[in-house]
Amino acid sequence: MLTMIDVHKRFGDVLALNGAGFSVERGRILGFLGPNGAGKTTMMRVIFDLVHPDSGIVTWNGIPVDAKARLGFGYMPEERGLYPKMKVVNQLVHFARLSGLSNDDARDAVEHWLGVLGLGDRADAKLEELSHGNQQRAQLAAALAPNPELLVLDEPFAGLDPIGVDSLSQTLRELSSGGVTIVFSSHQLDLVEDVCQDVAIINDGRIVLDGDLDQIKARSSRRRLTIDVDGRSWIPDLPDIEVVRNHGQDHCVVPDDAPVADILAVAEAAGNVTRFAFEPPHLTDLFREAVQP
Amino acid sequence: MSPWTQVWLLAKREFVERGRSKPFLVTMVILAVVIIAIGPVINALSGGEPEATTVGLVGVELRGIEDELETQGDLFEIDIDVVRFESMDQAENALEDGEVDAVLRDGNEVVFYDNTSAGLTSLIQRAVDTVVTVSTLEDLGLSEVEISAVQEPVPVSVSTIEETDLEEDAKRGAAFVGAILLYVSIIMFGQFVAMGTVEEKQNRVVEVVLSRVRPWQVLVGKVAGIGLLGLLQLTILLGAAYISAQLAGPTDIDVAAVGLPIIAGVFFWFILGYAFYAFLYAAVGSTVSRQEDLQGAIMLPIVLILPGYLLAISAAENPDSLLARVGSLMPMWAPFVMPVRIAAGSAAAWEIAVAVVGSIVGAVALVWIGSRVYRGALLRTGTKVKITDAWRAAAD
Repeated sequence: MLTMIDVHKRFGDVLALNGAGFSVERGRILGFLGPNGAGKTTMMRVIFDLVHPDSGIVTWNGIPVDAKARLGFGYMPEERGLYPKMKVVNQLVHFARLSGLSNDDARDAVEHWLGVLGLGDRADAKLEELSHGNQQRAQLAAALAPNPELLVLDEPFAGLDPIGVDSLSQTLRELSSGGVTIVFSSHQLDLVEDVCQDVAIINDGRIVLDGDLDQIKARSSRRRLTIDVDGRSWIPDLPDIEVVRNHGQDHCVVPDDAPVADILAVAEAAGNVTRFAFEPPHLTDLFREAVQP
Repeated sequence: MSPWTQVWLLAKREFVERGRSKPFLVTMVILAVVIIAIGPVINALSGGEPEATTVGLVGVELRGIEDELETQGDLFEIDIDVVRFESMDQAENALEDGEVDAVLRDGNEVVFYDNTSAGLTSLIQRAVDTVVTVSTLEDLGLSEVEISAVQEPVPVSVSTIEETDLEEDAKRGAAFVGAILLYVSIIMFGQFVAMGTVEEKQNRVVEVVLSRVRPWQVLVGKVAGIGLLGLLQLTILLGAAYISAQLAGPTDIDVAAVGLPIIAGVFFWFILGYAFYAFLYAAVGSTVSRQEDLQGAIMLPIVLILPGYLLAISAAENPDSLLARVGSLMPMWAPFVMPVRIAAGSAAAWEIAVAVVGSIVGAVALVWIGSRVYRGALLRTGTKVKITDAWRAAAD
């Protein structure tokens, strides 16, 4: 279990992390969300001491994380990069060995992960000879090569085509069912909703919402309300309503005790109701609510 | 896994990946071939064994002149060949073609091609004098014994008050070549360190590396790996120079006695000089994010190294000058200047000690300063990082 508590970090005039913290249990997938500049990358870098926090605690299974513990973690930074002129297999073995694996174990692990990620036949190619998608896979392989217990991925889905997204989602699910703890950041909220059990949302250097996604949804006092009248979005006239305009498919977010029957009656008076959905909030609704100023 | 095992893995990667890159191998092979070729080429140009001096005879010939020219040649330790010509035209052609060095015409005129030689003229003059005198004495009725008593040359011994020491010159020359090799190597491998640092920043691979190891390990691994490659290249190039010197073969110089101490010195000073500059190169390399910006950043080490090279040249000429003495004591220049002064025999023991200790202290200081700048600048991409900003950032 990874736990981060009360992490502070200031860069000059900018307070990047202001008491941020979350935890994720072994074998679970946590989606780490937040607007640009909220502190996601800084928080992930703190786990690897790439950024040294001004204060705060990072523990793994209850023990403060040190250099040795970090060797059991895999990290894929947002800024992708490997050695362009090195053979894929050689650099992955290099990284696995830097993480403490013996030469034989490193070779076995690299062979395994290249196979899992569909790069087995490209092992002897130089990185720069690979397609963009395969370079992404090699990058993930570099994070996986030491057979990590904790995998931290910064924007792993950025730049992937839909098939790449599906295949990475599948890989992450398999890893987590194999006991690997995964933290990844993303802006693709529906994807996070699909893949993650847990979420943590960071805003202005603080965690504003975190926990089990289903529980958060159930606990929420808000509901998503989507009404179409005569095939077009219809917004009721209610107090305490938040309207989300979304390319022709508008919806609103209302309190969970909103008078649903009354609203439906008003809608029917306005025309032919073709859609009426009153449901738990989606992650996008929770996110929007959490990061609103 | 100990931190030093990781450093070793990082060093090995630098050594192997850079060592097997084509540009590096091609450059090294070309350098080695050129160096090996230098000896025989110089040998061929300078003509190797001194050639015999040839004197042509034409027209009226003095009796016994040929023997006498050779006898005089022996006295001056010059090997004289004599060639006869039918006509002055033939003799002039031979002069023009360089087949003969001078022509004695009718026993009373010495003809050269374009430049006269006082030495050869006086040698021929003496030979002419001798045969004329002998013939006169014979005509006067003196016996051979009496004539040789009159004509017996009184050998004058020749000496210098300062002993000519070929080995001393060779030593100085070799030390100077060593200083150049040192200069080229330190710049070359220092650049490799800077380039490697920027490459890792530019490729962003540095963050992947730093998620596993500390910045100081990356720095030390890189400097050590590239330094080992530098030592390997130095070994090969010095080996080439050694072969070249053997092939050049001035046989009265003991190449091993002159060369081996110089070679040992080059290694020793390379390690000190490289340690000093490599960490500086890494520090300035870490402040930029693109290769295009590197040229500007490495001006600092270049500007520091260049005077060392110039001082080494000046010290080769004049090892006892104030400039050479001061330069040889400064940590940043000692690796270039001191070996030249040591070879010239002008460095006192205390001066050598100061230079060595100063260079070690300087290198250690640069390791510390360089590491801190490197650590502070490594994860900052985009614009050039100021060295002072990197210094402060590393305090966190």
